[in-house]
Amino acid sequence: MRLIFVDGPSEVRRNFFPLALSRPLWELRYGMTSLAEKLLSRVNPQDVACFVPDYMADVYRTKTKWPVNDTSTLAGDDLLIVNPLVKANGFDVRPSGPSEVALNDQGHLLYARVARADLKKLSGEDIDAFLTCSQANLPNITSSFATWQYTWDLILTNAEQITADFALTGQSGIEGTVEEPTAIRGSKKDVYVAPGATVHPMVVIDAEHGPVYIDEDAEIQPFTRIEGPCYIGKKSILLGAKCREGNSIGPMCRIGGELEESIIQGYSNKYHDGFIGHSYVGEWVNLGALTTNSDLKNDYSTVSMMLDGRHPTNTGSAKVGSLIGDHTKTSIGTLFNTGSYVGAMTVVMATGKPLPKFIPSFGWFIEGIVTKGFGKRSLYTTAQVAVGRRGCQWSETEQAMWDKIFEMTAPARNEAIKKGRRTMMR
Amino acid sequence: MATVAERVIAVTAQVLKVTPEEVKAEHSFTTDLGAESVQSIELVAMFEEEFGIEMDEDAALAVETVGGAVEFIANVCKEQGVDVEQ
Repeated sequence: MRLIFVDGPSEVRRNFFPLALSRPLWELRYGMTSLAEKLLSRVNPQDVACFVPDYMADVYRTKTKWPVNDTSTLAGDDLLIVNPLVKANGFDVRPSGPSEVALNDQGHLLYARVARADLKKLSGEDIDAFLTCSQANLPNITSSFATWQYTWDLILTNAEQITADFALTGQSGIEGTVEEPTAIRGSKKDVYVAPGATVHPMVVIDAEHGPVYIDEDAEIQPFTRIEGPCYIGKKSILLGAKCREGNSIGPMCRIGGELEESIIQGYSNKYHDGFIGHSYVGEWVNLGALTTNSDLKNDYSTVSMMLDGRHPTNTGSAKVGSLIGDHTKTSIGTLFNTGSYVGAMTVVMATGKPLPKFIPSFGWFIEGIVTKGFGKRSLYTTAQVAVGRRGCQWSETEQAMWDKIFEMTAPARNEAIKKGRRTMMR
Repeated sequence: MATVAERVIAVTAQVLKVTPEEVKAEHSFTTDLGAESVQSIELVAMFEEEFGIEMDEDAALAVETVGGAVEFIANVCKEQGVDVEQ
């Protein structure tokens, strides 16, 4: 049986911007792993393939072993085509069985199980056509499997997911190095220090309210306090951090200051003091010293967020911080308002006041307005340096994908720049 | 209508908070007129607004002098079909 992830449709993808601008939805970090890893562990397929938006296909091919946008994977085996936003926890579809197309009450595909024998009834030159044909020719059912609606859904349930993922690993104990004196509160069976990880002296690991998983080659420097549930990714370094509950920190991050109930996809720096809470931070982000976000309004009302720069969406939660896209850099002293959307490839300079709640991708927020700044080539030069510092490479393929993202995000950015120009000319 | 040079000088004076008389064609925006990097961005934005043109950021920010800006902007205006007084 082959499991096939299909990213989209675009109106759903937008709900996961800016994080999903540069990666398939199933790569989003949640708990200790990605959405994909969770679904794969539920289904346990022999084979995996995927379909992503065309503009990111070439880059994603360099990051996965799975065939990408290859229509030949739609033949030759029983197929389970899955919407990657289906919540893995309740996903109990039998991988093999009679063909059926499951839709939710809004008509969105949840999964399509296609028995090999039925493949001859189907055709399609691309995945959309294949799915349309499947829907027309195979039995349709209505299913109530829950799906992720917005990025903040992941943030708000991340702590519980870390606890569930920790239990699934079955890991416990110290396989790395823990230098004395280090204090472990709660049960030691709720702590795992992986081989190669080092915990320096004067660290507190508080597992009283949830497990703490420190992955391979991570380094926890003195005066760090880690409160569970928490996952710290491979080769990440915590520098005297106040790491509150519910954090998932991906690989190769540098984390200092205070972090609470947040997800950091990976390869990002929040080296210095400053508070980030109930936020989702992409890759290759650098948050300057004292960068802080609000995650709670003064009147405790629910937080709204503008994903398109115009229309607020009520998150339904009183606690939501910021969504910060890949390659964004903030200056010292940056203050993000509650429920801020900070696009990918943005440069943000502090103003001393909380910033506007929407900063478009590739925007240079300078002197209180969105500008074109030094342009995208300057951003690419910086990105090249940033990835090089972590032993990774910035490729022409990657740049071509970002060029497309630049075009896709132009309307919101141009509008913000115009608004900025009007302010400048006053 | 004012010439391109006059308009460039007027915008430069306004952004950099100097008098038009202090702005000469041979002046460097940074070393003679004291433009900081943020003001360079503001200058490009204000030139675009003044002339109704779109400039490539890299090329525009590579222009060092007031005279260079006059020439650069005149060329962009010509390319983009914007009528200006030479």
